[in-house]
Amino acid sequence: MKVAIVTGGAKPDSIGHEVVRRLLKEGMQVVVADLYEEGFSALKQCLCVRTDVADPESVQKMVDAALSKLKRIDVLVNCVGGSWGITRKDLLASPPLGFRGLENCSLEDWRTIVAANLDAVFHSCRAAAPHLKKQGGAIVNVASVAARKGIPPGSEGSSGPYAVAKAGVMGLTRQLALELGPHGVRVNCVAPGVISSGRLKRVMALTGKERGPEGPMSTIPMGRVGTVEECAALIVALCTDDTSYMTGVTVDINGASYAA
Amino acid sequence: MPLEGLKGRRALVTGAASGIGASVVRRLKREGVEVVATDIHPGAEIAVADLTDADDVEKLAGAAGAIDFLVNVAGGPAAPTRSDSLPPIPGAMALEDLDEKQWSSVIAANLTTAFLVCREFAPRMKARRFGRIINFASIAARRGSDRVGVHYAAAKGGIIGLTKTLALELGPHNITVNAIAPGFIKTPRIEEAGWGDASAAFIESLPLRRAGKPDDIAGVVAMLCSEAGNYVSGATIDVNGGWYFGP
Repeated sequence: MKVAIVTGGAKPDSIGHEVVRRLLKEGMQVVVADLYEEGFSALKQCLCVRTDVADPESVQKMVDAALSKLKRIDVLVNCVGGSWGITRKDLLASPPLGFRGLENCSLEDWRTIVAANLDAVFHSCRAAAPHLKKQGGAIVNVASVAARKGIPPGSEGSSGPYAVAKAGVMGLTRQLALELGPHGVRVNCVAPGVISSGRLKRVMALTGKERGPEGPMSTIPMGRVGTVEECAALIVALCTDDTSYMTGVTVDINGASYAA
Repeated sequence: MPLEGLKGRRALVTGAASGIGASVVRRLKREGVEVVATDIHPGAEIAVADLTDADDVEKLAGAAGAIDFLVNVAGGPAAPTRSDSLPPIPGAMALEDLDEKQWSSVIAANLTTAFLVCREFAPRMKARRFGRIINFASIAARRGSDRVGVHYAAAKGGIIGLTKTLALELGPHNITVNAIAPGFIKTPRIEEAGWGDASAAFIESLPLRRAGKPDDIAGVVAMLCSEAGNYVSGATIDVNGGWYFGP
């Protein structure tokens, strides 16, 4: 039985949670690595491991636990991330209001956001790669349309450091594709636009329906936001043989709002 | 696991008689999609049409009926005509070797075909408020090519512009438009052209250490037609084993 690790898979109504559900449906055993322990009781079929992805030791322990229980790692999906709700302290907090760009960013915010969005992917890939290489497999990272176009000043619920860190995730994807390709491990990335996750709902509860974290909703050509189901289906496709000759690729999923 | 959203849909696949097109037909059929296959040359279960001819495209649309997935594979670095069954793919083409006739015919076979087919089918998809259009670009449009000539690279670059623009234009009608940019794919034509034995050094330089197969491309077509492609539009997806990473 194949084994998948999903970071950031425990919060209900999140992309990661839906990825977990679908990987189980594909017949994989799933390890959920998350700080949000409150979500673990709903994931009894999974091996849930409390993990602070910004802490390399915590990530290593999670990978060790996965190996000792399930013996192998075939798939790694790095969903964890965001501009807020990323530390144990603010996990359940409301989004901070006001535009947070680079110019007005505190060093603490910069470090926290880059750690959760970029360092986290490095830590989990580095810890899992030796085991993926044994039999081949796939890594899928989650970036953002923000990596392509930045966060427009005035937007709320996202941040400048997030856009920069997600661009780093795209670069990491390419670098790792070169390193792991010869070992039969493909590394790809998705860059979602506005997706109707629980997080988006909490932003819009504060800002009103018309203002998304990436700018006004009315500018999305498909006339709607994406769903976590659609986004998770794409992530899972990147874990399967349907994408056997893709590596180093970032697939944009944004309703035609930004064509790279 | 079968992919969600494919069973019971109807697809038109162009350039379906061989290579990538034939592989796409097989894959979609396996997922329970009813497929209308077209090509400029006759074959088993092939509706013959010259897609550089607007009248032929209109006739094809009349015969094809309602289409959910439009997969525009037709094209290639050497343009087929009705009389010339699959012309061999030439070796390296330098700028000064190209005459206007070759330029025009390769632009027509790769870019005009996609324009005419999209123009014919988009209004029908709009009326039904559903459609998935998949065009074929190429690595020649992404990184340039040291082999196939500027005409082919320019035509495939045109496909990317057409794809992005149609994504904006058709998005409000729940029609997605994407392109696939294959890298080095070992099709029968490529093998015949003597490219199949690409240098070991080249293959060894690819991160995945192998040439692509038509089925590698068909999988990505199936993905884009499925639920996984519902909110993907305007994208050009590189399928090249890590040869080139695009923009």
